[in-house]
Amino acid sequence: MIERYLQALSLADPGDEDPAVTRDRLRERFPKGATRRMTQLGLLVGAALDDLKPRADDAIVYATGYGESRALEAYLDSFPGASPTLFQTSIHPSAVQQAMITRQHAVGEFFPMTGRGNLVAQAIQTALLSPAPRVLVCGGEERGTWLLENGVASARTFALAFALSAEPAGALARIALQPVEANPEEISLEAFFDVLARREPLNRIVGQGARLTLDWS
Amino acid sequence: MLPAAAVRLEAAGCLTALGDAVSTHSRLLRGERALSLSPVLGAEGGEAVPLALAGGRGLDETAPPNWLAQLKSLADTIPADDWGSPHRPVFVTSSNFGVGSLYAFRRTGEQAHLRYGTPSLCVDWLARELGWGSNVTTLSHACVSAHLGLLLATRTLHAGLAPRALVFTFDFISPFVTGGFHALKILNSGFPAPYADRPTGSIGLGDGAGFAVLSRERGDFTIAAQSVYNEMHHFTANRADGAGFAACLGPVKTAAVERKLWLKGHGTGTLEAGRLESSALTATFPGAPLVSWKGSLGHTLGSCGVVELALAVESIRAGRAPGTVGSAAPCFSPAVALESFSTADCDGVVCASNAFGGAHAAFLLTHD
Repeated sequence: MIERYLQALSLADPGDEDPAVTRDRLRERFPKGATRRMTQLGLLVGAALDDLKPRADDAIVYATGYGESRALEAYLDSFPGASPTLFQTSIHPSAVQQAMITRQHAVGEFFPMTGRGNLVAQAIQTALLSPAPRVLVCGGEERGTWLLENGVASARTFALAFALSAEPAGALARIALQPVEANPEEISLEAFFDVLARREPLNRIVGQGARLTLDWS
Repeated sequence: MLPAAAVRLEAAGCLTALGDAVSTHSRLLRGERALSLSPVLGAEGGEAVPLALAGGRGLDETAPPNWLAQLKSLADTIPADDWGSPHRPVFVTSSNFGVGSLYAFRRTGEQAHLRYGTPSLCVDWLARELGWGSNVTTLSHACVSAHLGLLLATRTLHAGLAPRALVFTFDFISPFVTGGFHALKILNSGFPAPYADRPTGSIGLGDGAGFAVLSRERGDFTIAAQSVYNEMHHFTANRADGAGFAACLGPVKTAAVERKLWLKGHGTGTLEAGRLESSALTATFPGAPLVSWKGSLGHTLGSCGVVELALAVESIRAGRAPGTVGSAAPCFSPAVALESFSTADCDGVVCASNAFGGAHAAFLLTHD
């Protein structure tokens, strides 16, 4: 069994808030002028990570199924005169990079991951396998427009970030993965966000056959 | 960061515009350039830029994607196992997955393209086509994606979660990505000349796919150290002092003490990154010859780490490494090998890659 302690947690659930409103609301959380080109997901993930006070020796694991849907839509619509800024912004790890680059905050390990029903388990396993003293697990989605209408973007905007370490003192929760021989159940990133938001315990077989337990203090 | 523990490399293979690993290696030794000038937006035209497409396929995406047959032929060469089962994990890495299908959908309105357009839809489809189980983990970190697959697979093996793991990587170019790099002005009408000190830089883009089977016990090759580092300085530029390169190479240097090395750099053909990379590699590993193969194959994006791993393995097996095809003197460093050279006197190769956001990755490959 591998386990860590959840030392800090930050969640964002802005509902149907327009990206421009999110930008205005979070403007003060970022260096002056930095938010102009940031995506809604970048703003939300960046603010959530900021709540965890990132350190240089942290590792970061980032989970998202769709990533920067709005930037992707706008980039695709920019052809034939493709936008270089939207091209950069639409790449998968962009949300975390937007946040960390605005703060000039280097990190050693950064694992951007994607997937569906096994993504949560895989992201947590990646975090638990990291030798870094503290691992920041973050993720989220942003609500798409025409990609959503075609079933290839998230219907909900949300972001999460939590810090894991081997230190039990003062922990909010304990999280563990134990390999088992059993049929797994899928858990979406959105469902896991709701578990965290409601501080619900978790005890289920996930991913490729591992028991994921989340026990709150 | 701490170097990951060593892991055995049981098998590796790749696919490029020059064929499989054996064919690509031999054609690189002959100095062949796979890149040719083609319209940047495929059927929609645009400036002619250097692209290297595998197997004669077209740049414009089809439904299903026209690269599936080539991926299947590559997958047929992977040692057989119950891949994707609980103890045989698969780590899929790519930068673009099937995003060219979203470009095709937006241009044509054909719904069939949507089945491959997101990373998870694309990987789920591939897993079905290749007969894998559900134990498939997907990573996407632009052009260091394949390195992350190797690192996470290594950790999975060392945690005792599996005795053997498959890292599978692919990136097939489309107008989505050619248009993006063209907009950044680094994909232009010039052919790439990695590490050449010239007035204007340029890259080429190429198709690439590859695999690596990692094992705790089996294999003649060893990935003896792995390192990653993320500058988070600028989306498309590195810190001017080269600190990011040095931070990534440091742990690999520690593991390579007393070895006689050669270096497979990232070397896309951009000027500032090429200058910083060659300077850092030369300073960290003095006297080691440095090559890049992207002047022939183009930049194979998220797949390049494993594609070039397979070519490094082939170079060691054949006893000769291809030179930096497409480049010419003067270069940023005298270490740049323009011609092929014998690997017989070397007992290790450092393979390095870089990506958007100042991401760096490197590993040390040794042979028993």
